[in-house]
Amino acid sequence: MGSRLRVLFLFLVLAALVAACAAPGASVAPSAPPPSPSLAASPGAPAETTYPVTLTDDAGRSVTIDHAPQRIVSLAPSNTEIICALGACGHLVGVPDYRVGYPRDVLRAIKNVPAVVSYGPVDREAIVAAEPDLILAAGNELTSSDDIKALADLGYPVLALYPESLDEVSADIELVGTALNAGSEAAAITADMARRVAAVEDAVTGSDRPRTFYEVSIFEGTIYTAGKDSFLASLVDTAGGDPILGDARTTAISLEDLVSADPQVIVLGDAAYDESITARAVAKRQGWDGMTAVQEGRVVPLPEDILITRPGPRIVDGLEALARAIHPEAFE
Amino acid sequence: MRTAVAAGEARPLRIGLSITRSVAVLGGTALMLAVILVLGVGLGSTQVSVGDTAAILAHRLLALPTPQTWPATAETIIFDIRLPRVLTAMLVGGGLAMAGTVFQALLRNPLADPYVIGTAAGASLGAALGIVAPLLVPALAIGAGSELLGLGVVQLLAFAGGLGTVLLVYAVARSAGRVQVITLLLTGYAVSSVLAAMVALLMFMSGRALGAIFGWLMGSLANASWSALGFATPLLLVSFVLLLARWRRINLLLLGDAQAASLGVDVEREKLVLTMLATLATSAAVAVSGTIGFVGLVVPHLLRLLIGPDHRLLLPASLLTGAGLLVLADLGARLVPGGGIPVGVVTALVGAPFFLWLLRRSRLTRVDLGA
Amino acid sequence: MTVAVAAPIAAFRGVRFGYPRHGREPLEVLRGIDLELRAGELLALLGPNGSGKTTLLRLLSGALRPEAGAVEVASRPVGEWPRLALARQVAVLPQHLELPEGFRVAELVAMGRAPHARRLFGSTAEDERAVERALQDADALDLADRYPHELSGGERQRVLVAMALAQEPRLLLLDEPTLHLDLAHQVALLQRLRQLHAQRKLTVLAVLHDLNLAAAFAPRVVLLDDGRVAADGPPGEVLTPETIQRVFGVATEPVVTQDGRRHLALAVD
Repeated sequence: MGSRLRVLFLFLVLAALVAACAAPGASVAPSAPPPSPSLAASPGAPAETTYPVTLTDDAGRSVTIDHAPQRIVSLAPSNTEIICALGACGHLVGVPDYRVGYPRDVLRAIKNVPAVVSYGPVDREAIVAAEPDLILAAGNELTSSDDIKALADLGYPVLALYPESLDEVSADIELVGTALNAGSEAAAITADMARRVAAVEDAVTGSDRPRTFYEVSIFEGTIYTAGKDSFLASLVDTAGGDPILGDARTTAISLEDLVSADPQVIVLGDAAYDESITARAVAKRQGWDGMTAVQEGRVVPLPEDILITRPGPRIVDGLEALARAIHPEAFE
Repeated sequence: MRTAVAAGEARPLRIGLSITRSVAVLGGTALMLAVILVLGVGLGSTQVSVGDTAAILAHRLLALPTPQTWPATAETIIFDIRLPRVLTAMLVGGGLAMAGTVFQALLRNPLADPYVIGTAAGASLGAALGIVAPLLVPALAIGAGSELLGLGVVQLLAFAGGLGTVLLVYAVARSAGRVQVITLLLTGYAVSSVLAAMVALLMFMSGRALGAIFGWLMGSLANASWSALGFATPLLLVSFVLLLARWRRINLLLLGDAQAASLGVDVEREKLVLTMLATLATSAAVAVSGTIGFVGLVVPHLLRLLIGPDHRLLLPASLLTGAGLLVLADLGARLVPGGGIPVGVVTALVGAPFFLWLLRRSRLTRVDLGA
Repeated sequence: MTVAVAAPIAAFRGVRFGYPRHGREPLEVLRGIDLELRAGELLALLGPNGSGKTTLLRLLSGALRPEAGAVEVASRPVGEWPRLALARQVAVLPQHLELPEGFRVAELVAMGRAPHARRLFGSTAEDERAVERALQDADALDLADRYPHELSGGERQRVLVAMALAQEPRLLLLDEPTLHLDLAHQVALLQRLRQLHAQRKLTVLAVLHDLNLAAAFAPRVVLLDDGRVAADGPPGEVLTPETIQRVFGVATEPVVTQDGRRHLALAVD
């Protein structure tokens, strides 16, 4: 029994950690273009969606949508943000239970929408009761594959989204745009995102690429950072840093490896939800004081890690924050 | 002082169970289960009216030509989500309690539960492999969605892992054609430790699937489905019938191996058969629900205190009581807002204090726990 | 009825047995036993610790198999008996038996009916009669509704006898049945066994420690020494100071009581 309880404890700690990750303090005004008031496509935009339409989601599943969705269930905050950015906030009939870290208008719009998932499996009864005609799930086991399969078996169109690069975020926004017959809104958003990404790239081109360590979290002495080939690593790279990589699977890095990698910039993603994580605290950690970043005072807390961990339209805000942390000189 | 039995003063000698008592115990537990089943199907995170629920069940289960007055969503909720989940809880709870009863008698150890000789560790490893393998080796992901006998890959691997581990433990514990109880327990512990370490390793490497493995280890009925029920039901029923038919031999084993043998029991064969039948039930339950704790430990103790150690009554009563208690615990787990919590949390959270209370009470009444 | 022509109910023919030991030669316990037990006999088995008495009983109940030679019950090798059929022939009252808690005495005694069970769940009227008779014969009828923890040592032993009697065996094996009993209960138990022997035509083989008690109880005693039969016959012939000296290494002297019975008294310096 002891080991079971330990497992439970560890699970709760992890759940709390996930909750904390998803819960930064203040909300920010959206920098994506203001959502258009209706789903109707504006003239001259990409062709209107003709239903039924068959789409392929990020899990490679083929999903057919019979008509323009009127009742949408979102199973991830990033999905909710995408739907709202496309102006379909009013069609949401089910959202995740964590209602923090959203732009104010999104927060207002989903205030009274029933919760259908918290941590763990989704509330299937609540989803069925919401009578959705489209479900936007998260991929990679954030929504468990069992749940995705069960919902699809019940006859609902389920799109699983898990973008793993800036391009894929844009592609997903366009995918949802097609699903919702909001192709032109999607195109406008992604065009704006592309413009801003290009601006960041312009700003950091030609500068040095400092060795950058992004701290996701430190848990029981294990240091978690951007894993090899991860979305986070590519963001650091785009922001003009040379990411110090953790293991591809566990995203952990040993202190020894970190010391020998000698970061020139340390970005503290975990500062967003843990007030004790500060530049000063990092300098006091055993073995960290010799790192170049610490000695040169380039340890930057990131107050809005949700912009980076939530792959929605505001991901570019995150990219910009990251670029400013790594190359303050380029944005003066 | 001895009571002389005077001629004509016929004192009834009760050598076994009285019919009235058996009917009272089994009728009582069956009634309790029925009430809990009604609650389980009637309540959920979404409200469906009693009338609609009854009409849907009459329509779908009894094929009554009731006019379809209910919303389609109500039918989906009751028939496709809630009913299979309630029935799975019933089956799993009953199976675990019954297997726990058998293991406590067989191993003559009050700490024995259905998982004690390796079922849980083996099933966990199987499930963890099934969850992680497609992520580690993308080529395996193609087969990940396929089903066999109504089970997904994870469930099948869990079932095979539980059964296979007990076979391995039994073979290792066997020496000169005999299996000693203490060797079996220690071997089970050692093998479980190795497998648990392998599960921990897989969890460490699992990355994104960590939550899925945790959920499985905590035990959950959220993935109940008719097809999984179709797999587990016959296995559990067969093992129940065969175990119940052996009640007399299980009772005799309580006298110890030597005395059971001199009363005509083939002790070594019986131990193997009982272990395998109880493991079959446990593995089937675990495959569809993950490792739900406490039901298999507490229910046998509870019933032994209430109705005595005769397995003729203990086995069916533990089946019915375990079934009712797990449906009730899962109802509690389901009703927690936001998708519910793992039922294993409820059984441990409520089961452990209850168990403590039981222990204290039993010391007062001087009825020994365990076999 | 002539006892002489009756076939032996149990027989040991050249039986050898050793307990296997890890990485060593087996521990030889029986080194060639020849012994016949006729139906209706009352026999006491005596011998020093480790002389093979318990092993002999376990061979007869089928718990062990001989290494060499044959152990027969009713002229059929023990290994060839179906277990249930053998359990209807031979009942064992072991040295130690932990009675499982929670069963009433009547239920425990009814477990002795297992080899005769006809019904899957219930018991027959015959079972009930046999249990009642067993409780009566073992003087345990008044204990029928007690639980094991409510029994004294003497009462426990009466319950064990009742369990063995419920089995309705032809041969009853007892392994030091008087071990934990005080003198009064020892005598009472052995008297009861003699009565049963007479009433039920039961063949009784009892391992005993007390030589005088054995002599008073059994018309035939067998003395084992180092895995062999050292002496076999009426107590007066077997239990001589010479044999006792040879087998146990203890000096004794015969004492004759006022009513003419012979006893052995320890000759302590």
